[in-house]
Formats: sequence, C-alpha cells, structure tokens
Amino acid sequence: MKITALLVLKAAPETTDPVILANASDVSHFGYFQRSSVKEFVVFVGRTVASRTPPSQRQSVQHEEYKVHAYNRNGLCAVGFMDDHYPVRSAFSLLNQVLDEYNKSFGETWRSAKEDSSQTWPYLAEALTKFQDPAEADKLLKIQRELDETKIILHKTIDSVLARGEKLDSLVEKSSDLSMASQMFYKQAKKTNSCCTIL
Amino acid sequence: MQARHGQSSYRDRTDEFFGIVESLRRSIAPAAANNVPYGGGGGVKREDPRSAAANQSEFSKRAGLIGLAIHQTSQKLSKLAQLAKRSSVFDDPTREIQELTVVIKQEISGLNGALLDLQAVRNSHNDERNISRDTTTHSATVVDDLKNRLMDTTKEFKDVLTLRTENMKIQEDRMKKFSKISSKESANPFVRQRPLASKPSPSQPAPLPWANDSSSSSSSQIVPRRQGEAESSPLLQQSQQQQQQQMVPLQDTYMQSRAEALHNVESTIHELGNIFTQLATMVSQQGEIAIRIDQNMEDTLANVEGAQSQLARYLNSISSNRWLMIKIFFVLIAFLMVFLFFVA
Repeated sequence: MKITALLVLKAAPETTDPVILANASDVSHFGYFQRSSVKEFVVFVGRTVASRTPPSQRQSVQHEEYKVHAYNRNGLCAVGFMDDHYPVRSAFSLLNQVLDEYNKSFGETWRSAKEDSSQTWPYLAEALTKFQDPAEADKLLKIQRELDETKIILHKTIDSVLARGEKLDSLVEKSSDLSMASQMFYKQAKKTNSCCTIL
Repeated sequence: MQARHGQSSYRDRTDEFFGIVESLRRSIAPAAANNVPYGGGGGVKREDPRSAAANQSEFSKRAGLIGLAIHQTSQKLSKLAQLAKRSSVFDDPTREIQELTVVIKQEISGLNGALLDLQAVRNSHNDERNISRDTTTHSATVVDDLKNRLMDTTKEFKDVLTLRTENMKIQEDRMKKFSKISSKESANPFVRQRPLASKPSPSQPAPLPWANDSSSSSSSQIVPRRQGEAESSPLLQQSQQQQQQQMVPLQDTYMQSRAEALHNVESTIHELGNIFTQLATMVSQQGEIAIRIDQNMEDTLANVEGAQSQLARYLNSISSNRWLMIKIFFVLIAFLMVFLFFVA
C-alpha cells in the first residue's frame, strides 16, 4: 500500500492544460535511470486526469497498476497516484487535507499561476512519507483499527477472567473442605478432653 | 330469522332500513355492504350494535385496504424478481431495480405501520365495548393473517435482494474475463457496468500484450510504459468517458463508504460496551465467591484455634496428673516401707 506521487494542479478551463503548482513523488523503488521518466509520466498523467475532472468532483482512474485519484475543488485540483490496495476513502480524505493545507499556506496566489512552479512544497513531501500508511490519513480507519485491537484485548481479558473464576471455584471447594476438617478436629479434641478418666 | 336475513319474501324491514341509515350516518365513510348483516341483527339494542358495527366496519375496511396494498406490493415484488433474474451482461436495468427496491421498501414499512395501527384500533375498540367473543376472535384472526402475509412478502423481498447481489457478482466475474482494465474500475461495487464496458474489450487485445509484457518484465518497467503511454491516452479517454458517466455514483460511493465506515465504528463501540458489561458482571460474581472463600477460611481459623486450646488444656491436665501420680507413688512406697519394717 503505497503512494507514488502527489500533485497539486490548477485546473484551468477545459481548453488549456492544467498548471502544476506542487509536486512530490517517491520514485525510490525504481531504478536510477527510470526515475526521471517516471516523474515525467506522473506529470503527464496528472495533467490529463486533472483536465478531465469537472469542478467539485472526485474521480478515480485505473492506469496500469496505479490508481489515480483526483479531487477538483473550485479549480484547485489534487491528484494522487496510489496502488490498488490503498483504500479509496483514505485517498480522498488525504487529498482533502492536502487541498486545505495548500489553501492555508498559499491562499489565493495560485489562481494567477500561468506556468508550472518548480519550487517544492515541503509539506507535500512529508505528507507523502507520512501517509504511506492509510490509517494516518483517514481518521476513521485509525479509529476502526484501534477499536479492533481493543476488542481483541478485551476478549483476552474475558478469557483470563473466566480462568480466574475457575480457580476461585476450586479455592472455594478447598476452603470449605478445610473448614470441615478443622471442625472435626475441634470436636475430637473436645471429646478427648471431656472424658478425663486419667489413669 | 332466516327470512330476515336477506331472502326476498314479503317482510316489513322498515325498521332495519332505518337502523342501516342510522349506522351509516354514524360511520365515517360509506360502508353499507358491511353494515347490512350487522344492522339486520340489531333488533332491540340499536346503540351498541351500531357503534360496534361502525367499529367493525372501520376495522374490516382498513383490513381490506391493507390486504389490497399487500397484494400490490407482492405484484411489484414479482416484477422485481423477474428483473433481478435477467442476467444479461449488457442490458443492465440497475436503475429500475434500485427504484423498485426503494418503492417496495417504503410500501412495506408503510404497511407495517398501518397494520400496527389496525391492531391498536382493534384493541381500543375491544376495551370500549363488550363485543362478542366471535368478533374478537375474527378480528384477531384477520390481523394475524395480514401479518403473516406481510411477513411472507418481506421474506420474498429479502430473497430477491440476495438473488440480485449474487447475479451482480456473477456479472462482475464475467466482466473480468472479458476486459482486464475496465474490470479494475468495477472493483468499486457501486460503479455500474455500462454498455461502454463492451467497447474497451475489442480494443483490449492490442494493449493487453503490452500490459502483460510490462508486468512480466518487472525490472524494465519504464520502457514498456513509454510505449504504453501512447496507448494509455486513448484508454484514459475511454475510461474518462466511463468515469464521467459514473461521476455521480462515485460521489455517492464516497459518501456511502464514509457512512458505512461510521456505522461500523458505531457498532464496534456498541459491542465493546456489551463486552465491558459482561466483564463487570463476571467480576462481581467472582467477588461474591471470593467473599465466601474468606468466610470459610475464618471459620477454619476459629475451629483450629479452639481445637488447639482444647489440646493445650488436655496437655495441661495430663501433665498435672502426672504430678499427682508421682505423689501417690511416693505415698505407696511409704506404705510399702512401713509394711517391710513390720515384717522385718
């Protein structure tokens, strides 16, 4: 489950190509010579998908072994390249977060961008590494996972409580036997003490 | 009496006629057909049978309406079953099926509510008046029959829905066999298989060897990808077309999956609450057991202490007796000495 790239684009009206505003990609698992071409591929497919995503719409496209998720919000489009196992919902919540962060840090300046910006946006790079695990991006997934773990722990607890119950039952039996025996002991002692015809 | 009940002999039935008119005026809606047998039997007591008749007519009218609605629902259900059984690959009436499903669900829930109302009405009527035993059993039987029919309808509905999901699964498998890429898009269960799905399949065999080659030669991924890029753009366009038509369901899908995840979380929390309650019960029960054990041990301690004191006393008495015995021996020996002195 990994993210290969995250892009933020300005989705211009249909005629022009979208303008890339930020780009972060993780190409470490490709060979050294293929990295640049992978980056170009990411740029190209990202532009294509973004130009075809209507405003305020989400979209997922399958391309070879990648799923490309795009979310266009008022002209600002976030595109993510994930593999097939990455849950769709987490992908979109991640794109939401990226867009919010971008709006917060850059405000409206992106509307005037006319060409691809070449500066890197550090938030995107660290988001890429942080959100390789879909649970980080999607709070719901995290909560569900923690709840499942808690449920497992509780099951174990109940098992051990049941074992404790069994041990307590055996203890009760033994203690009642002990009290019976001590009672007999007391009676015997009393009996030998009472008839004291001492020789 | 038989003549009174409808045979066309010359009988003065003016009183009965007036009685019918009265009961008609009392009941809210015209239900003359139901009133005739009851109105005819009311000789002296006009009041009770009339309002009882009014109640009875209202009850049977409602029961009739509910029965009719159940019949209509079962007819729609049979139509839905037919639609669901049609398992052709291309002509997928998903929209109609979904609409029908929603409509049937609404009708069933409405019928449930109406049936409950009917039962409440009958109970309130039974509390008000002393109706004969036969009437109560009759109304009870009618309500039970309607309930049974509604239950059967709901069961059939459920069966049809399961059949529909099975068919959809079979269709997806078949889709996968025909087209590799568009089937990956259909992994999302709410995405519809449009007739366009047939279009990529003839174009598939050309890119497919590319894709297969690219997957087989995993080391040199980029070289076939370069070649695949040229193919990917027409593919993307086709998939874009599909995506555009599936846009709204995808939005719904996103929201629906979020809603489903929330439901899951909620039910998990509920289960956790249950588990905690059970745990608390078990621990409190075991606490009681522990108290019992404690009491037993205290009893044992008391017994053993008492026994020990008894034995100590016993020991004392034994040892003290020895002292006495020594003294007695001395006295005896003294006597013996005296006897020896005497003899010797």
